[in-house]
Amino acid sequence: MDDLLKKIAYCVEFGKINLQSPYPPDMKGQQGADELTKEALDKGIDAEDILQKGLVIGMEKVGIKFRENKIFVPQVLMSAKAMNTAISHLKPYFQSGSVKRKGTFVIGTVAGDLHDIGKNLVAMMVEGNGWEVIDLGTDVNSQRFVEELKNHPGSYVGLSALLTTTMINMEEIVKEVKASIPETKVLIGGAPVSEDFKMKIGADFYSADPQGAVEYLNAMAMA
Amino acid sequence: MHFAARFNNHTYAEFASDYRILVESNIKAMEYFDMDMVGLISDPFRETSAFGAEITFPDDAVPKCEYPIIQTYEDVKSLKNPDVYKNFRTLDRIKGAKYFQELLKGEVPVIGWIEGPLAEACDLAGVSNMLIQLMIDPDFVHQLLDKCIITAKDFARAQIEAGCNLIGIGDAICSQIDRNTYDNYIKERHKEIINYIHEQGAKVKLHICGNITHLLPSLKEVGMDILDLDWQVDMDYAFEIVGPDVIRCGNIDPVVIQNKSEEEVIELTINLLEKEKGRRHILSAGCEITVNTPVQNLLAMRKESYIDTNE
Repeated sequence: MDDLLKKIAYCVEFGKINLQSPYPPDMKGQQGADELTKEALDKGIDAEDILQKGLVIGMEKVGIKFRENKIFVPQVLMSAKAMNTAISHLKPYFQSGSVKRKGTFVIGTVAGDLHDIGKNLVAMMVEGNGWEVIDLGTDVNSQRFVEELKNHPGSYVGLSALLTTTMINMEEIVKEVKASIPETKVLIGGAPVSEDFKMKIGADFYSADPQGAVEYLNAMAMA
Repeated sequence: MHFAARFNNHTYAEFASDYRILVESNIKAMEYFDMDMVGLISDPFRETSAFGAEITFPDDAVPKCEYPIIQTYEDVKSLKNPDVYKNFRTLDRIKGAKYFQELLKGEVPVIGWIEGPLAEACDLAGVSNMLIQLMIDPDFVHQLLDKCIITAKDFARAQIEAGCNLIGIGDAICSQIDRNTYDNYIKERHKEIINYIHEQGAKVKLHICGNITHLLPSLKEVGMDILDLDWQVDMDYAFEIVGPDVIRCGNIDPVVIQNKSEEEVIELTINLLEKEKGRRHILSAGCEITVNTPVQNLLAMRKESYIDTNE
């Protein structure tokens, strides 16, 4: 069992999606996260173990390597694809409640901003760490965040912005979210955003990289 | 860009869609802040429009590409290189180059602008899709990049013929790829475009947004005259790697210039200029001066550079 879970983690870490995928070149012709996850389920390995000891371990390594500039966005995207393929096999277990997520994370790029790559990276890594992620996309206003929070009580919120002209919209969203559901924790990130800015707008956490968001959320889930 | 548009009381949609407004806004900013160059950059979607994508112009934001026109390898194969004189957006920039020369009479260097090959490929195919293709489908990538550099060269030549002294190549997304991928797919293409621009008689400024520290050893070999550096890159380290011949342009954090006090901006400018003394360097933000930058902060930055140059 451990060997199979290690292989799944390895496939996620190195972005091996399935047998047909030519990436990474040194794993050409080998099974990927797709086949191995299916095999693990067929062998009766608990879906929770596949998530926690396979996917989460693999994605954590991806987050750390990305933070340390050992890998870059294309490699992270491949890992996320491998992880998503594996997760698609676990969906019925999430739906039945036999596999529990750590919590729900509602993420979006703020109103006026159409950039999605940073937001996508955070969403992928958080999801790969065992969270349910509700991705609201780009150009998202405060009303939309509040609506989604009402549908998913207890969710955490992630706000992304790439532009100095749109980062200011974070302030309004934080204000509205806190006014509607005061206990909501709001994380912010993006190229122009900083710890100073987080303090200024009353957000709860700033991270310069996706792994920081994952670590914060995991710590909150443990608290 | 956006700063210049607002400084001249225009929306960004007007700035990006009418060369007269773009040129006049830049000249107004140049005169007020006593800048040494003017440019034609506005947004990444001039060539993308010429390739056939639908571009819309929100009032006060960067133009947006409604959807990527390349999804499959078949799309890449059927993509036709456009005539840059026939598309309204590329022609608008070419006319801008002429208008600059008409107004400035050759007394101020004019920087034209083209999308670098990977940036243009991402504009056409979508960022995530293109970055994934880099990992899995070399045929897709090579064919698309080759088509992008044909148009990049055509567009650069047209702007040089219209009066540009320099051409900026914007390949922002390169900071997000590893050096090996850069070397395999982009480096030679950067060299090819740069050599071509040099043959046409213009200089080249290469701009890659973000942290490009890991690419510097490769970039030193591509032959640009000016290398734009964003605030994340250490200027000393860049000097050490790219050497004394390349002019480094940068690199005060634009968010700092926007949000800090005039005194803090002055201090940062003095520190940078002190470090750069005796080296080939152009003072600028790294990257763009933001639209909400206080006028006095930008004036302070300029004033310090003036004092330094005259010492």
